[in-house]
Amino acid sequence: MEPESPALPVPKIEVKNFSAFYGKTQALHNVDFTIYERKITAMIGPSGCGKSTFLRSLNRMNDFFLDFRVEGSATLDGEEIYGPAVNPVLIRQRVGMVFQKPNPFQKSIFENVAYGLRIQGVKSRSVLSDIVEKSLKAAALWDEVKDRLNGSAFSLSGGQQQRLCIARALAVEPEVILLDEPASALDPISTARIEELMQDLKDRYTIAIVTHNMQQAARVSDRTAFFLDGTLVEVNDTTKIFTNPEDPRTEDYITGRFG
Amino acid sequence: MAENVLPEKGLSLYRKVRNALLGGLTAVAFVLAVTPLLAIIYVAYDRGKAALSLSFLTTLPGGFPVGIEGGIANGIVGSLILILIASLLSVPVGVWAGLYLWDQSHTPLAKATRLLSDLLLGVPSVIWGVVGFYVFSTNTGYGFHWGFSGLAAGLTLGFIMIPIVTRVTEQALRDVPRSYIEGALALGASRFQVVRGLAIPAAITGIGTGILLGVLNVLGQTAPLIFTNYYNTGIPKNLVGSNGSVGDLAMQIFIYIHEPSKGLHVKAMAAALVLTMIVLLLDMGIRLLAWGSRKYAQRMG
Repeated sequence: MEPESPALPVPKIEVKNFSAFYGKTQALHNVDFTIYERKITAMIGPSGCGKSTFLRSLNRMNDFFLDFRVEGSATLDGEEIYGPAVNPVLIRQRVGMVFQKPNPFQKSIFENVAYGLRIQGVKSRSVLSDIVEKSLKAAALWDEVKDRLNGSAFSLSGGQQQRLCIARALAVEPEVILLDEPASALDPISTARIEELMQDLKDRYTIAIVTHNMQQAARVSDRTAFFLDGTLVEVNDTTKIFTNPEDPRTEDYITGRFG
Repeated sequence: MAENVLPEKGLSLYRKVRNALLGGLTAVAFVLAVTPLLAIIYVAYDRGKAALSLSFLTTLPGGFPVGIEGGIANGIVGSLILILIASLLSVPVGVWAGLYLWDQSHTPLAKATRLLSDLLLGVPSVIWGVVGFYVFSTNTGYGFHWGFSGLAAGLTLGFIMIPIVTRVTEQALRDVPRSYIEGALALGASRFQVVRGLAIPAAITGIGTGILLGVLNVLGQTAPLIFTNYYNTGIPKNLVGSNGSVGDLAMQIFIYIHEPSKGLHVKAMAAALVLTMIVLLLDMGIRLLAWGSRKYAQRMG
């Protein structure tokens, strides 16, 4: 692990007393949590612990569940994410997301990356080409696809498709990238590439990743949060969580006593 | 442990027999399923071949009894007019309703709409015809007094088509994977952009199939036409009023086969073959169109 930089980290997303409900079921209980700028924050915990719900709450992807609602405060640069005047579309432009299974569109590689720009009204072919190239390079995919940009996105391997989805998210210049178990459907080599990529992206983006894989959290993240039964048990520097956790439940989980 | 605990390789006799049995049943089911189509084509061709020629498609009925000479141009043109009117009404309404049911699927209004739409699917066509007659055709009815006319029949058929198009459109949209929709939303797409740019292109084959099912249903209807249009041996200049009836292939077959005339029976079967071929052509046309528009959507944004 890298040593902490001397400058104080800047909060990007601050969550206070945050609860989430699906109908009568409470999925998150009073979570207090800060995600810092240009850091990688990992969220671990057993299945059903609320970590994905938490992640998807941060860019309002849960809005589409009919009876989903939240209580408490979640802010992005101090602005309430669930404020009454906030347009979720604008939040999602600032907080991008990559999903568990690669989900490229049924379009060419080029059009997949350009989609986010096209829906914002960018029409100029040269602007689109520039950003597509830049995004594919940032997602470490350019060299593999530069000769077949007009080929179908489905012709790519699973790992390449996932990097394409990352490139697609980068193209709209988000400030935060949420990764929902981005490597769980990938082979070890593709996983390693995604993890390397995260280290490259960290210089420019705030990254939050949900993962089932504790080794992955330990390898890639600066801070780690442990969720259990909808509560945030502990959040701290990754080194601290994995060497000297404060809560006995965290220790039980990372030592494999339950999972 | 003994060395040969595993059974010998290869399928057991039981599995071989079961495979053969189920394979055989599948083959029988397949044959039973396609036999009617082949039977229709064979019988229609065998009984109608004497009347088939190019001029059969391009001339109007003549002679006595009417139709013993000439062809079925009136029926072909009339059927196409009816399909066109019915589609102009039902495709926009049905696709829009399907989109609504998909997008707002859990709201009370959508649930009510879905229920009513499904009820409409079950209304017998003769009832559609009688209600169409009272609303569109007769002077003593409720509304339009258009007489027996192409417009009255086309609209009645259009209303029959709406619930079919609605139902299939909604189902096609539901089949679009959720992950696909979420991917676009996570990029900051609006609901409308997702529907227009991704959901509809992904569902276009299904929507096309829905329109096709509706059109085929309309092509085969006779009961509604008996009350709203009846039949015309010529090609009308108007679609409303006392001379506004159009010809129709299904009605033409129905009428010819009722006449005590061997010659008209031959013509009826020839017309049946033409109608079946139109159905097959429409089917292939819609598939081609859906395929093409999907290709187009892939290339464009």
